[in-house]
Amino acid sequence: MSAYSRAYLGMRIGCILTALLPWGPAPAAIPPCEACHGAHGEGMAAAHVPRLAGQSADYLQKQLDDYAQGTRDNPIMRNFARALNRQQRAKFAARYASMSAPFVAQNTSSAVSLARGHQLAYQGDETKRVQACNGCHGPDGIGVALAAPYLAGQSAEYLASALTAFRQGTRKNDAGELMRSVAQRLDEVDVAAVSGYFGSLEPSTN
Amino acid sequence: MDKVTRRSFVAAVGAVTAVPATALLSPTAHAAARPGKTPSIAEPAETNYLFFNAAEALFIEAACERLIPADESGPGALGAGVPNYLDKQLGGAWGAGERLYRSGPWQPGTPTQGYQLPFTPAELFHTSLHAVDRDLAAHGMLFNEMPGEAQDEYLKSLESGARDLDGVPSAVFFDMLLKMSTEGFFSDPVYGGNRNMAAWRMIGFPGAYADYFEAVDRRGMRFEREPMSLAEDGRGHIQMRQGIPADL
Amino acid sequence: MAADISRCVKASLQIYKDVPRWCSDSKLATRTRERYGRNFLDPEVTIQDWGVTYDDLEPHYDRFEYLLGTSGKAGNIKSHIQAGGDPHESPRSREYPTPPQKELFQGALFRKAATSLGHRPFPQPSSNLSQPYTNPEGMKLNACVFCGFCERHACEHYAKSVPQTIILPVLMANPNFELRTGCQVQRINLDSTKKRATGATYFDAVGREYEQPASLVITSAFALNNVRLLLLSGIGAPYDPATGQGVVGRNYSYQTVSSVAAFFDEDVVINPFMASGASGTVINDFAGDNFDHSGLGFIGGAYIGAVNSHGRPIQYHPTPPGTPAWGKDWKQAVVKHYNHTVMLSVHGSSVTQRQNHLDLDPTYRDAWGQPLLRMTFDFPQNDLKMAVHVTAKAAEIGKAMGATQVAANPRKGPYTITQYQSTHNTGGAVMGDSPKNSVVNRYMQSWDVPNVFVIGASAYPQNASWNPTGTLGALTYWAIDALTNKYLKTPGQLVSA
Repeated sequence: MSAYSRAYLGMRIGCILTALLPWGPAPAAIPPCEACHGAHGEGMAAAHVPRLAGQSADYLQKQLDDYAQGTRDNPIMRNFARALNRQQRAKFAARYASMSAPFVAQNTSSAVSLARGHQLAYQGDETKRVQACNGCHGPDGIGVALAAPYLAGQSAEYLASALTAFRQGTRKNDAGELMRSVAQRLDEVDVAAVSGYFGSLEPSTN
Repeated sequence: MDKVTRRSFVAAVGAVTAVPATALLSPTAHAAARPGKTPSIAEPAETNYLFFNAAEALFIEAACERLIPADESGPGALGAGVPNYLDKQLGGAWGAGERLYRSGPWQPGTPTQGYQLPFTPAELFHTSLHAVDRDLAAHGMLFNEMPGEAQDEYLKSLESGARDLDGVPSAVFFDMLLKMSTEGFFSDPVYGGNRNMAAWRMIGFPGAYADYFEAVDRRGMRFEREPMSLAEDGRGHIQMRQGIPADL
Repeated sequence: MAADISRCVKASLQIYKDVPRWCSDSKLATRTRERYGRNFLDPEVTIQDWGVTYDDLEPHYDRFEYLLGTSGKAGNIKSHIQAGGDPHESPRSREYPTPPQKELFQGALFRKAATSLGHRPFPQPSSNLSQPYTNPEGMKLNACVFCGFCERHACEHYAKSVPQTIILPVLMANPNFELRTGCQVQRINLDSTKKRATGATYFDAVGREYEQPASLVITSAFALNNVRLLLLSGIGAPYDPATGQGVVGRNYSYQTVSSVAAFFDEDVVINPFMASGASGTVINDFAGDNFDHSGLGFIGGAYIGAVNSHGRPIQYHPTPPGTPAWGKDWKQAVVKHYNHTVMLSVHGSSVTQRQNHLDLDPTYRDAWGQPLLRMTFDFPQNDLKMAVHVTAKAAEIGKAMGATQVAANPRKGPYTITQYQSTHNTGGAVMGDSPKNSVVNRYMQSWDVPNVFVIGASAYPQNASWNPTGTLGALTYWAIDALTNKYLKTPGQLVSA
């Protein structure tokens, strides 16, 4: 690499890091993150990138910490999370928690699937020993601070991939194995139903 | 053994996790979307009475407000809608004595044997309120027009059992009134009392949250999360079911 | 004295929360005489030996705990004392199925204070599970999330060991099993010899009468209903306290529950609403016969602990002594103390005495015209003395916790039904080694009618310091073992009187 390239690369990294540092210039969005998570934290459904806008700061912080430590396994997020120290992750989490993003409804589920998702959300399924999602995730899935992230308005694709990862055990950072226990009792039809249902709900941060 | 001061002891036990035991996060965005406002102290609850008649309601409202008065910490029974709770419970299945063993013969019993009267809760209240009204009217008084201290004195006389209310020992009536006022104050708003969860806000009870699995590790943290009713939806609207018996 | 050790795991019959083992009481009468002399006890007290030993029951305790998935830390595995568990524990064959639940703040305060006074605290074993678990029947349970709506509520989270989470679905799938709901059994029917049951009579919800023939009848209807059924069916001689004759209804006992309220400054935030039904930190140093009672004038004891299971405001709004029951001062006291108070439980034993008994009421009847059960009970002086003694110990711990004010509330007589204390109603159809002083033998088989088994805490000759359900689970598996391996092969009386 030529000296010029090195300097240029260093400057680019410097710019990125400056943008990352809490005391540096602070744009409304965060450049490295917005590339995937959107200018307002709205996510990118097709790429299974979750909506972050208005998500619980506590939850976001925990996920970033888990990515950094490898407790939650994702090579892309791991690199980003490791570039930050804990205070910086907290700042990022707080930044996204305060964001508000427009919601685009994804109504690709059938009426039957939506009804099933609604049932699982409100009642659970005793035959499968699955409790109502809303019991922990809050009324209409709007999330409960310190307990569970919001599901309403989250990308259905992301929810489905998260549930599948819990189901297969490839995602293991849920306290008390709570989500793994639930996901393992859901079949693919129910995963699609509950994901599509929450994906169709307006997030409360709108 | 070294003397452990109270503060150092508690501090040593409290700081378990890396997160210091300070005030919790400010309300999150979702809380802002549910703006259930804290009612002002003197705001009366509008109640559509189905059980109490107008005279009974005047006594109940005034009496409950003496039992649990409004003050700096928050609304009292009136602001919290306690009379509404009583009205709906007494007007429902519980008030009709659905869960009571109601075969005679009727004997006074001992204090340790609990409630032994033949009256259903509804009958107990109607009988007692009628007797109270007559008792006060004989002295040219209306309870709701008496000054506060006089109201307290009268309530204390009921509490001590000094009065016979057409067969109901006044202490029995008073005990039930106090017990139900406490329920109406602290119960989930779905039953018609504890409007806007004011009583829960006052003491710091979060309501119907399910999961504290991670929160239990944050010892001594102050909980400033919005309280939640078991019957509220994502917009903070509580689906009332006032007639269901609160005491099953 | 080896066997004064227990595993404290509480459980309630309808909702299994904590499931304790207790073994110190299996030969309570004999050991009390041996340790303290024949004249130590009040002559009115009628405690007696059980007819089974801890060693008989150990494998069955194990089996019951593994059915439930109980979360705890063993204190004694095969006579090796384990750090972190109950040092008084009787030897168990292996660890608990799941580790202890998380310690709450109030539990940590209690633990440090108790340790500073030389006591030996340990996590209360709990059947609100600490982690996901699959029991030997294939039933899966989740980790409890400390919702604070445990007892008196269903667990929608499948984290509490109750019949519907640990065994009922397995039973329902069994073609040999049929569950009929909405029915009320009236009596167990006997033949003309009165020594053999022929089945049971019941009414369904609509009021139609049925006779269900059977060659074997097991009544497991809760302690009180077991006794009532025996009395209504004419099985065993009813007890008469005036003459001392008869056995059915004799030796009814309860639980002597006291408390200590520790009030803290407003900078100590307890958050009582974050709780599980059975999580807590306890000491057994003053329970059962774990301490020397010489000169104290009572037997028995209590476990002490920070075991508060909820912060539901109607039931829980502690205020210091002297606070008025209503009005402005009451309200201000509630606000001041709600989130800054720890309630310590003093959960004590209950000896039996001549007057405490169950029988059929001469006046009041149920909807089917049958006499109600009548309970005659008051706290024996022995237990009130015990309550004073152990509550004082608990108050010391409260002070050591750093409370600014400690209010001790030892149980006082008379017994009142107006204040809920416990649902640990025990005795009335006690087990023993002789039909002269017991209703059932060591396998909970009726001495009078060998094809009737009476399974319940009705079998307890007296009640120990700990919650009854763990021992009941063990006794049940022990009885099932006798039923399947002895009785079904050779029906008849299993124990010669």
